[in-house]
Amino acid sequence: MLFVLDIMYFLYYYKYIQDNKGSQSIMSYQERRTIVSLLTGVAVIVAYSIYAFGRYQAGLVAAGDLKFWAGTMLIFVGIGILASIIIQIIFHILTSIGMAVTTKIRDQQASDKEIEASIERSIGSEMVEDEMDRLIELKANRVGFAAAGIGFIAGLVALLLGYSAVIMLNILFLSFSGGSLLEGIVQLYFYRRGVAHA
Amino acid sequence: MPKKIVITNNIRRLRFFANEMTQQDLAERAGVSRQTIIAIEAGKYSPSLELAFRIADVFGVAIGDVFAHQQEGE
Repeated sequence: MLFVLDIMYFLYYYKYIQDNKGSQSIMSYQERRTIVSLLTGVAVIVAYSIYAFGRYQAGLVAAGDLKFWAGTMLIFVGIGILASIIIQIIFHILTSIGMAVTTKIRDQQASDKEIEASIERSIGSEMVEDEMDRLIELKANRVGFAAAGIGFIAGLVALLLGYSAVIMLNILFLSFSGGSLLEGIVQLYFYRRGVAHA
Repeated sequence: MPKKIVITNNIRRLRFFANEMTQQDLAERAGVSRQTIIAIEAGKYSPSLELAFRIADVFGVAIGDVFAHQQEGE
């Protein structure tokens, strides 16, 4: 499912390049990487919801079975980490292919060596993480952390209101996941609108 | 409370006079991504002092020739 999302994004990006031949305004590597992470995060949350709540609604999970929820959450945390590593690797490969295709589209006569040199140059100037990336990451982390914190408070309030620990666990899990998605959205916002030190 | 400082830059002009140096070239020489150079040039990001000096060094000019500042409302 995650791989399909990545392929779809790559096809979209390829079409975007074709539609914007010669244009300088294609999305930056950092923005594309953030979008891929966001898509991965959304896919993991959707998969968790379908699996866990599906089993719960089908009556396969006993009420208050904390072991099931803890185990499922741990498994999906693992799946999330693995998926993001694998998808980032696939994304790097597809980006390199995309760069080769772009070079070929722009210069039909380009030889393999020229394409290779162009990719190496792009890697040097596009994929490098610099001070602006770190500032954006820090600011986005702060927002994500705040969202997770609000989720924790909401979980405690839910317990106080008499909801079960299962509800609290789910609020925690979804707020942490939502916080990481929010982090990605904030990153995209800063890449688009610019970022100030203060 | 001190007034906010607005930082402007001459990077586009300096690139033009440096034989139309590309943003990618400048990014490579300053050791940052092209995205960062685009953001600085558009006034969307103010670089650290260190990066500002590196950009000035690329053009072989003083930092004051690359960046200028004025107080908001001036």
